[in-house]
Amino acid sequence: MVPDLHAFLLRVKSLFRKRRMDREMAEELEFHQTLLREKLLRQGVPHAEVDAAARRTFGNARRWHERLRELWQFRTLENFLRDVSFSARLLRKSSGFTAVAVLTLALGVGANTAIFSLINGLMLRPLPVPHAEQLAVLRMEEGGPQSSYSFITPFFRSLEGRHEVFSEVFAYNGDTLQVRGRSGNENIQGALVSGQFFQALQTTPLMGRYLTPEDDHKGGSAAGLAVVISEHFWERWFNRAPDVVGRKLVIANVPFTVVGVMPKQFIGADPTQKPEIFAPLSADPIIDAPRNHIDAGIRAWWLTVMARLQPGVTLDQANAALLTVSNPILHETASDPSAIADVPSFIADEEKGHFHFAAEPGSRGFVFIRFFFRKPLLAVFAMCGGILLLACLNLASLLMARSAARERELATRLAMGATRRRLIQQLLVESLLLAMLGTAAGLAVAPVVSRSLAALLMSGNNNMQVDTSLDLRVFVFAALIAVVSAVMIGLIPALQATSGNLNDHIKDGQHVRQAHERRRTLPRVLLASEVALALVLVVGAGLLATSLVRLYKSGVGFDPKNLVNIAFSMDKQQLDGDALMRLYQEIGEGLSHQPGVKHVSFQFIVPLSHRGWNGRYSAPGGSSQIIFLNSVGPDYFETMRIPLYSGRGFRWSDTKASGLKMILNQSAAKLLFPGQNALGRQVINDRAKTSYEVVAVAGDAKYREMRVPAPPAGYVPILQDEQKKPSLSAVVRIDGPQSPLAGAARSLAARLAPEIPAPVLTTLDEVLDNSISAERMMALLSVFFAGCALLVTAIGLYGTLAYTTARRTSEIGIRMALGAQRARVIVMVFKENVLVAAIGSGAGLIAAALASRALASFLYGTSPRDPWVLVGSVAALTAIASAASLLPALRAARIEPMAAIRYE
Amino acid sequence: MIREESSETGELIQGTLEMLILKALLRGSMHGYGVAEWIQQTSQQVLKVEEGALYPALHRLELRGLLESEWGASENNRRAKFYQLTTEGKKRLNAESQRWARLSAAVAFVMQAS
Repeated sequence: MVPDLHAFLLRVKSLFRKRRMDREMAEELEFHQTLLREKLLRQGVPHAEVDAAARRTFGNARRWHERLRELWQFRTLENFLRDVSFSARLLRKSSGFTAVAVLTLALGVGANTAIFSLINGLMLRPLPVPHAEQLAVLRMEEGGPQSSYSFITPFFRSLEGRHEVFSEVFAYNGDTLQVRGRSGNENIQGALVSGQFFQALQTTPLMGRYLTPEDDHKGGSAAGLAVVISEHFWERWFNRAPDVVGRKLVIANVPFTVVGVMPKQFIGADPTQKPEIFAPLSADPIIDAPRNHIDAGIRAWWLTVMARLQPGVTLDQANAALLTVSNPILHETASDPSAIADVPSFIADEEKGHFHFAAEPGSRGFVFIRFFFRKPLLAVFAMCGGILLLACLNLASLLMARSAARERELATRLAMGATRRRLIQQLLVESLLLAMLGTAAGLAVAPVVSRSLAALLMSGNNNMQVDTSLDLRVFVFAALIAVVSAVMIGLIPALQATSGNLNDHIKDGQHVRQAHERRRTLPRVLLASEVALALVLVVGAGLLATSLVRLYKSGVGFDPKNLVNIAFSMDKQQLDGDALMRLYQEIGEGLSHQPGVKHVSFQFIVPLSHRGWNGRYSAPGGSSQIIFLNSVGPDYFETMRIPLYSGRGFRWSDTKASGLKMILNQSAAKLLFPGQNALGRQVINDRAKTSYEVVAVAGDAKYREMRVPAPPAGYVPILQDEQKKPSLSAVVRIDGPQSPLAGAARSLAARLAPEIPAPVLTTLDEVLDNSISAERMMALLSVFFAGCALLVTAIGLYGTLAYTTARRTSEIGIRMALGAQRARVIVMVFKENVLVAAIGSGAGLIAAALASRALASFLYGTSPRDPWVLVGSVAALTAIASAASLLPALRAARIEPMAAIRYE
Repeated sequence: MIREESSETGELIQGTLEMLILKALLRGSMHGYGVAEWIQQTSQQVLKVEEGALYPALHRLELRGLLESEWGASENNRRAKFYQLTTEGKKRLNAESQRWARLSAAVAFVMQAS
């Protein structure tokens, strides 16, 4: 063996049996001395002199022992370990300081890691498929400000056959599948995927086979309709039965054959969706019945299209190729049977917008919500960075104040021969220990935080999830910020403390004024930046919180309190038309007899759920206007508490036979009938040329989004809805707890419509909150961060001032002995921080004014320079800073001059 | 890892002592006292091994893997640490003996020159 390595291993071994090795060394030396003594005795040395003679021959046993010990040590390592235990002892001794340091750092690191893992899960992590970098997402440019990522079937089918630059082109659509289980139908998250989907994603099935282009035909392949299931679904539904391949699964009342199981790591092409069942795209008319996205042709923009580039083909080449095929493909739709009449104008419109396809990198799959959450997440990430920086600044200034208090100790050690490097090493070890403790604590809480943040963000979408699990990228990130923060908080104070003339320190410790003045600029700069940073965070939080409050206060036009929404999936059961309406009526009556229920009605579109339905309508002879629509049941306006200004609500007698009726909201009434009374007038659907009688004008209510004012909208009775088998939601106004209602709705549905999946219950308050989840997350986090920033800054201001004041004890004692008033002393100490806080606030205000512009797009009804918010933030910071500075000042004023002077 | 600091002369002495220790142990395992005694007797009291040098040398050789140690009972039944050559140690002794033979012959030549 190489001697060095051998020695290294033995030394490592000796580390773990130090005490034993030590004992044995002593024993070995002792043995030698015993034999030596015996020999001397034999040689006739008198008893009394044996010990002295032996010692003379042998020399100093302790020294030999020490030399042996040294042989077995790693000098650097042992020094390091000694530093660690020394630092640990110091940190334990000042447990308050340590707790503050670890907590603030844990906050910074935890917040950053949590947000980063959210960003990682949503935006950075590549799809777990081979050669993900070859994947591309296709989009359409139609001349509008935003690209479109939702394709119509004809476009996709044309693209699918082109392999000039792509080895595969595939499309998918996340969908809810109604699967028959032991206890009736259940809603299962799945995806409709085109023929080349699995070929492109190159993942081997766990069992059986995946879907191929053969399966993507009307009616399936020659062997019939096929589906592939996920490993998770195999486990849950089939209990991991080994013979699952070949079994039947009844989806939307039609049997499908399970042909394969995909392994756990396969998540499809959208990392936020984990489909349980993959069904062929061509089965859409069955699965989405009574809707049919395929026959809807150019009217159904429903597919996400991705592709795998052929090896060696670049994205630019792919884009060039797509450009040349765009126009021919557009013109192919001319023969689409779905809307022959509309096609020419459709093509003309698209050509006007210079319609073309384009490709962009798709290694990370396609996530629709990226567009919504990118900016909020980055903004929150910036806040986290701010908090981490704040934590570091705070720790640096605290450590600096502390090492200033240790000046004498360090100077003594330097004088005793310790090298400057050695001292810095010990100070760095101290901050490294703090950093490690803080990072560990932060990392420990990060997964919980990121999971709950993801849940908060996704709260509106039950079938969406973000995988925030820690992967290598997150760990590297966390390690990086841990090291950077350790160096940041450690190096400055260490260099500071060990510089300067050590003689001065030994001589007078705390009386060398001049040196102090110079050396106190840096801590002041640090503290001022801390104050500035805290102010920026507080202003940001103030703006976001004010905006959120204003958003809630702006109202939605109906009263969401005590309002429950119960969604029924009626699309796959047998009843339709009047029979289905009678079923809804029975359900409504059943619900209205439940205790605590005041009103019951039905609606097609749940307001603020981001769903929409609109059409072009006009007054006779008037111009055509876009009106948003909803079909609602009788008693709707009472239930929702939307005021009816004139006319009447709908009744169960408003059937198709009784003539088409419509209720307009105020905006629509003003738009269609400016300056006139809309009641009793006719409204014409421009497309179908049908005419509706306006039976009432209702108050404005927000439709899709809370941030957008109520659009012009019309309501039609559910009994006159043209849709096949509409799935409506019951809206129930309750007085009391909502929990009994869930059971009641379920048993009602089980009795009246046993085929349908269990109804889903949500409160309108939840719908409201979910519709602004990003705003809520930002406001919540920013307020939390701002609170922490204030606290941390207060601790920093208090801590440093307390240290410096403690070091001036005797000076203050002398001043007081010479007649200084206690009030003067308070002012003198307090003044130290006033300057720092004032400069910090000034700089912070400027920085906040610049930084808040980045927030402008998130704000509702609030200017990024809202004076009240700015004034309030400065006031909050001033109050906190004063409180933090007053305490050490008061303590200084209580100093007894005699005791202080004697103390030296 | 730390290397022992040593001057030119120190190295010679130290190297020589190490060689003598290896040689002593060629006869079988021995404790430190035995090694010192053997060297002293065999050299006819010319070479006196300093205890302060002996033990560091033994431990150094052990660290380098030339010796192995084991605790056992001594002649008069005391617990003692016995050292024993490893294969590496034997090889090293061989090399050292040759080197020493060459060196001492060369020194003799020089000294005998007139």
